[in-house]
Amino acid sequence: MLPDGLDGILRNEVEILLAPLSDNMSFCDLVKEVLNKTNPDLIKDTTRYKPWPLLPLLVCDAICGNWEQALPATAALQLLRSAADVFDDIEDADNTESVPAKYGIALAANTASVLVVLAEKGFTRLKDWGVTSDTVVKLIDTVNSYYAQACTGQHLDLSQAPEEATQEDAYLKLIGMKSAFAAECACYAGALLAGADQGLINLFTTFGCNLGMAAQIANDIRGITGLKDINNRKITLPVIFALGQAGQVHELLNSAFLKNDNKFVSSPRQIKDLLVNTGAIQYATIKMEIYKQQAMGVLNELERTEINIEQLRQFLD
Amino acid sequence: MESQALQELVRKIFSDEETKSQFAANPESVLSKFSLTECEKEAILRAQTKFGLTNSDSLQLSAAMPLDDFWL
Repeated sequence: MLPDGLDGILRNEVEILLAPLSDNMSFCDLVKEVLNKTNPDLIKDTTRYKPWPLLPLLVCDAICGNWEQALPATAALQLLRSAADVFDDIEDADNTESVPAKYGIALAANTASVLVVLAEKGFTRLKDWGVTSDTVVKLIDTVNSYYAQACTGQHLDLSQAPEEATQEDAYLKLIGMKSAFAAECACYAGALLAGADQGLINLFTTFGCNLGMAAQIANDIRGITGLKDINNRKITLPVIFALGQAGQVHELLNSAFLKNDNKFVSSPRQIKDLLVNTGAIQYATIKMEIYKQQAMGVLNELERTEINIEQLRQFLD
Repeated sequence: MESQALQELVRKIFSDEETKSQFAANPESVLSKFSLTECEKEAILRAQTKFGLTNSDSLQLSAAMPLDDFWL
């Protein structure tokens, strides 16, 4: 049974992981600033936001009715996500409000590095909750495989020519590696720590993967409607769809996103309106719904095995 | 996975006013003309119900998107 104030319990566990930094308050404060940036106060107001950081705990509880044994891993995954966020900001260099923009690359990289190190230490605390060494090793191995895959995705994203970024299948594979993996990894951790067999673990990772894909595509849509991705000339799913149009639409978007020559002198708002009027946003919306539907299909299958999925439905509302 | 049928459907709706009107009035009558999977058809109908695909502007679509930013 999940207690009230689970966010506070998770916050306390994160504080324990940060204990090695307690002798240097400025470093500790910077690390906390990074953690809060990723998730203010760790958990946002869940009446508006979904409790993504709690996902491993919720999966664990759904399977076995207990969540405590997943707590150290849940906190460790938060640290890894925050580290990845900082490294991403360093590599993309497109966010003027980021930690590297504010403190410089050196401090940002060092902060991200210690978050990775403290996360690895955090996984070792699982033994204090009765998790076997074999399971701890398996978890660490798999989590690191997920993050290695994310780095591979980032490498592809950073090194490919813009023209290579315009194929939908390749783009969906890329966001699976770079973004959706986080939800898949969280579900994997929760299921493994609940003592699930491989079949059940596979179901939960499928759920997590579809959840993550839907969330990233929603982010793509917001990136267009909020103009951020247009201003940064970022090629995401709506743009890929619209680039497939023949004629003037293709020429305009090709100029704006691939050649970056503003030959047709389109303002960000004009580009946004074009992407709406050609159905690009709507196409991305349908794709998002497909992934959500697939995730819901897995939940329905899990429900037939008498797994309590109620806490997981909220991620698909 | 990329779906040619889904892309063709969306392009048709947003390039042909008659198809767009027909879809708004009776989505299934338009969907039946394309080689869509059941999953795609369900997703299209859900998206039309939730977001009003054919008659929403960008502000309305954006407002209908979930607020949280996941871990992104």
